[in-house]
Amino acid sequence: MSNPYLPDITTIKRVKPETYDTTTFTLQFDEPKAREQFRYRPGQFVEVSVFGAGEAPFCIASSSHGRDDFDITVRKLGRVTQALHQLDAGAQVGVRGPLGNWFPFEEVGGKHVLFVVGGLGLAPLRPQIQDVYRQRDKFASVTVLYGARTPEDLIYRDELEQWQHLEGMKCLLTVDVATDGWTGNVGVVGSLLPNVKWDVSQGVAFVCGPPIMINFVVRDLVGMGFAEDAIISTLERHMRCGIGKCNHCIHGDKYICLDGPVFTCLQMKAMMELEP
Amino acid sequence: MAEIATICPYCGCGCGLHLHVSDGRVVGTGPVRAHPVSKGRLCLKGWHAHEIVDNPARLARPLVRRGEALEETSWEEALAHAAQGLQAVLQSAGPQAVGVLGSARCANEDNYLLVRFARSVLGTPNVDCSLAAYSLPEYVPDASSGQLADLDDSDLILMVGAEPGEEHPGAGARVYRALQRGAKLVTASVRKHALARLADVHLPLRLGAETAWLGSLIHVLLVERRMAGAKAEKVAALVAGVADPNPAATQSRTGLPAAALQQTADLYQAAGKVTVLFSSTLVFSPEGARAVRALASLGWLGRLGIGPEVVLLDLLSRSNLRGCWDMGVRPGFLPGNCSVEDSQAVQRLQEAWGGPFASGRGLPVWRMIGETQALYVMGDDPSRTLPEWPDKQAALRKLKFLVVQDMFLSPLAALAHVVLPAASFAERQGTWTNLEGRVQLARPAVAPMGEARADWRILVDLSRAMGKPMPYQSAEDVFAEITRVVPAYGGLSYRALGVSGGARVVGPAHHEETGEQLMPVLAGASSLPETGQQFPLLLAADPSLGPWDDEVTTSAMLSAGGEFTVVSRENPNGMLCLNPADARKYNLRPGATVQVTSAKGAERMQVRTSEEVPEGVAVTPYHHATRLGIMDIVTEADTGRPVIAATPVSVEPVK
Amino acid sequence: MSAYLLPWDRLEELVGRLLKAAEVIAPRRLESGDVFYGAIASPAEVAWDYRSAVEPLKRFLLPQREPILRFSTNGKLQVEPIYDEKDRVFLGVRSCDVSGVGVLDAMFGGDIEDPYYMARRRRATFIALTCQEPDEHCFCVCGDGGPFLKKGYDQQWTALGEGMLVEVGSEKGQALADSHSDLLSQAEPSHIGERLRLAKEAETRFGDFHSYIAAAMRKLSMAEVPEEVWEKGADHCVECGGCTFLCPTCSCFTVTDRREGDVVLRERHWDACMYSCYSREASGHNPRATRAQRVRGRFFHKLSLQWAQRNGRHGCVGCGRCVATCEAWGHMAAVSEAIRRGWESE
Repeated sequence: MSNPYLPDITTIKRVKPETYDTTTFTLQFDEPKAREQFRYRPGQFVEVSVFGAGEAPFCIASSSHGRDDFDITVRKLGRVTQALHQLDAGAQVGVRGPLGNWFPFEEVGGKHVLFVVGGLGLAPLRPQIQDVYRQRDKFASVTVLYGARTPEDLIYRDELEQWQHLEGMKCLLTVDVATDGWTGNVGVVGSLLPNVKWDVSQGVAFVCGPPIMINFVVRDLVGMGFAEDAIISTLERHMRCGIGKCNHCIHGDKYICLDGPVFTCLQMKAMMELEP
Repeated sequence: MAEIATICPYCGCGCGLHLHVSDGRVVGTGPVRAHPVSKGRLCLKGWHAHEIVDNPARLARPLVRRGEALEETSWEEALAHAAQGLQAVLQSAGPQAVGVLGSARCANEDNYLLVRFARSVLGTPNVDCSLAAYSLPEYVPDASSGQLADLDDSDLILMVGAEPGEEHPGAGARVYRALQRGAKLVTASVRKHALARLADVHLPLRLGAETAWLGSLIHVLLVERRMAGAKAEKVAALVAGVADPNPAATQSRTGLPAAALQQTADLYQAAGKVTVLFSSTLVFSPEGARAVRALASLGWLGRLGIGPEVVLLDLLSRSNLRGCWDMGVRPGFLPGNCSVEDSQAVQRLQEAWGGPFASGRGLPVWRMIGETQALYVMGDDPSRTLPEWPDKQAALRKLKFLVVQDMFLSPLAALAHVVLPAASFAERQGTWTNLEGRVQLARPAVAPMGEARADWRILVDLSRAMGKPMPYQSAEDVFAEITRVVPAYGGLSYRALGVSGGARVVGPAHHEETGEQLMPVLAGASSLPETGQQFPLLLAADPSLGPWDDEVTTSAMLSAGGEFTVVSRENPNGMLCLNPADARKYNLRPGATVQVTSAKGAERMQVRTSEEVPEGVAVTPYHHATRLGIMDIVTEADTGRPVIAATPVSVEPVK
Repeated sequence: MSAYLLPWDRLEELVGRLLKAAEVIAPRRLESGDVFYGAIASPAEVAWDYRSAVEPLKRFLLPQREPILRFSTNGKLQVEPIYDEKDRVFLGVRSCDVSGVGVLDAMFGGDIEDPYYMARRRRATFIALTCQEPDEHCFCVCGDGGPFLKKGYDQQWTALGEGMLVEVGSEKGQALADSHSDLLSQAEPSHIGERLRLAKEAETRFGDFHSYIAAAMRKLSMAEVPEEVWEKGADHCVECGGCTFLCPTCSCFTVTDRREGDVVLRERHWDACMYSCYSREASGHNPRATRAQRVRGRFFHKLSLQWAQRNGRHGCVGCGRCVATCEAWGHMAAVSEAIRRGWESE
């Protein structure tokens, strides 16, 4: 009988600080077989065990294309994340997954793809952005609008540099509050929406960020004419198992870990009606 | 898997619970349906009681201080070290320089031996318990003392200060059931908590006016409504002494609506039986002693046949606070709840203990810390009760010698020179006396953790190491002696206490107060703390706000511990709870750090809002207020207790 | 379905044989006076005359505290699961409790099986004992959990005049009957008749105990319950967790790691959705920050059509334990009534 609680062992290959409290860890399964079997799609998450501290869910923050390892981007907040931040490359952690559902890809072929992202919300969307860009010929256009509170809170800064100059992708950045040296846009990420000039009825929007940001951006997108099932987000919840047994992640009639974490705006609205 | 029936180690209710044991480990907790107190119910703490037994944070071996660190050592070494340290201070400074603190969490056997250890082995009269010092045992005449079953047949429940949902769910369950069967509820409290919202009448109490409204109530009943009838003469003195006679005057001074007071009087007169519930929220206030005696006057009226029958139920906060009183863990008292001046009691004990002992009145805990050079602490946590704890902590650091016996490395134990690991309630026999005076026997479910020993046994071992052995082989031995020297416990035995429910004891009546004696209680205006432009809010220490939040045993719980530690995580400087309107008025965002300033200084705290807190008032958990330097401290006249008073403050956001 | 008669004078022998082959969990009267399900050492320990056990069968399938993984960090990091693989026969257990197991089966089985629960479950045999007399708080008729079951058991026993009527409800139950066929005789039509009559009578005795679950279900599923019901409900709950821990179908758990030297033990513990930190995230954000939200969450999960469809049936078997153990007044009977008609004004 297989045991869905049993983690596979991974080794931390790289530790890359993103901000003062957020770090990207690159993990690789020790066993080649585990590496092979770990097939995931953008939007899915893993449960990471720091043995002795506990286990916590993290979205997979990198595309699987061309890699036999994967990234998680972690903010130092609680017991497990603090313990994780004490580890260096070479340390071992447990991983279970991939878990949850994933962002639509084939289903939105031909559409204009818009990403509206805030802060740490770029982590779950990064694999989707990477895959969509790589197969951009399947889509009408690719736009990334990304904002953070201050320039110091932007993550994946080296990639952002590249994204802003890629052909076939429009990437605009903004910060709520500028600091010395920032010459870019200042304002909430929603303020970049007027840059979207294409027909929104042919568009799909992926939104992720702090809850307040999501609320405002969704309102703006609906105002622009996006259909509620064309706006897609990913939810997070406190989880103790990730496989729909512990019940901590229930909202309304859904398990965020099994029926999500990816949901359309329409689905989220239905959940909120059952459980405001 | 076996199920061992025992009692919950937490609050004063003393609920029965079954510990589930498998392969020599405690793996779960369940209720006892047939238990007279809990009747098949448990609260969050009770349901997780097993988690403090088999717990990785438990002290398993004795510790001795070497330099900055505490290091594990053998019992032999630790006991020798403790004996030497204590003897050194006894010899150089005398027994008055040594103090002993007992515990409202430990068994009667433990506390009894602690008193003997203190007075007989160490020869010091300085015996106290920080929680016992702040409770008011002598102010509730046993003639008024009720039991939880009284809530089941009362027509009216008068809840003063207490919030059973937070502190005593075992009692709260009875109140909820009483409401279901149609009993009436009057609540009198500062915060409008859940039961206050469900009450028939809620009396919003102004801080400092806890006694004033009682005086008005008595005036309304006895003067306006002539409730005494033909017996009016008997209560004349009582009536004459009421300071705030009429409700209108009370309303103008304290804001208590006169109509609400009249409604309360209506319900009181219509009742055949009234149970009055109160807890540390009332007892720890500067008016505590007076308020409790004022409530006792209602009981006295009832016994005179004036108005309904009234019983009082003091919801004691810890599992064995009552036992602490009974075993004499208080200055000026001896086992048996007898005064040190009771020559019969002294003689009984001399016979039992084989000779004379230090029978004088010792220092209360608030003086012990600071005026002694060595302290022996069994299971007590003064940081949660004594005001201005940082000063006390500084004094503790200056002690020549400090020995602590406990289950976990509490903040106090972390300061000690010797730490002795104590067995938990599930690992030894012992009796605990609940808030009703019910003596119950806890039964061991598993062997002690590591090398931990039952508290009473540690004292026996230490007394031997000090060359003055105490001759007890078992907890039952100790209890047998208790039944001989503590009159109320006479005739009891472990066998008689049975498997579940124990037996109720009723202590000697202290005061059968007359109207003349009660009059001064109600006379004299209370001094209400005043706010003004500079300090527009009143900051109060609230014992019913998160009473278990940082208690070492609850935060150590493996799974439910998260419930308790999150408050300190979200409020690293302590929680300040305000009405949302006040938060808006003073520009305070929930979760933000603020500066709280009083005439004595300033402290930082984190803001939370709650509709339960009235406007003009801010509350912080009592156990946090003890750690602040900004609170006003008053010395209560009747008891000498330094008590935290509601303090005028201003609150500003911190940049 | 086959049915047999176990004459009274053969009962002890059958139980003795069960004891030789497996751990037998049956209702036992403890020293404290309570009846708990527990392992018996002899047939005489079974308290056949009991009405209800204080706790459901949950503890034997999902312990309150259960080690699930052991990590050794000595040298190479190794992870091993910890399974309980004991054969158990649950003898003389109540219909509502067996119904509760059915709900747990749906939650821990399905597409992703919980191996710890399944290891115990597959080795468990359930012999239910039908109920003739309700206990103080029972409402199984309302919760569709008894007093007589139509399915969900391996065997169902009913006390008749001549002995126990043994109804077989599964292959496991049939195999058990076959292996003790020397003690059993075919049930006569008169036995079946008596059993049907007893079921009808029992229904009337249990019939007075209502909880109006159906009405509550409808309103909940359509999100038609006014906010005020939950606000007031919050005042009737003190978050003791008792309803959750004693409910036969509640199964929420949390997971903790603890170090014991070189070994880290991962354990799971019962948790309660009523607790304030149940859904609190590390950031401090809490989707169910108020007690009113938690009360709604609990009852939606227990009674909504949406969850009933996922689990095969709704989550209340009418055992009445939450009513008995509530430290306030927020149990199934009180809340389903409040959903239906509002809280009575105090």
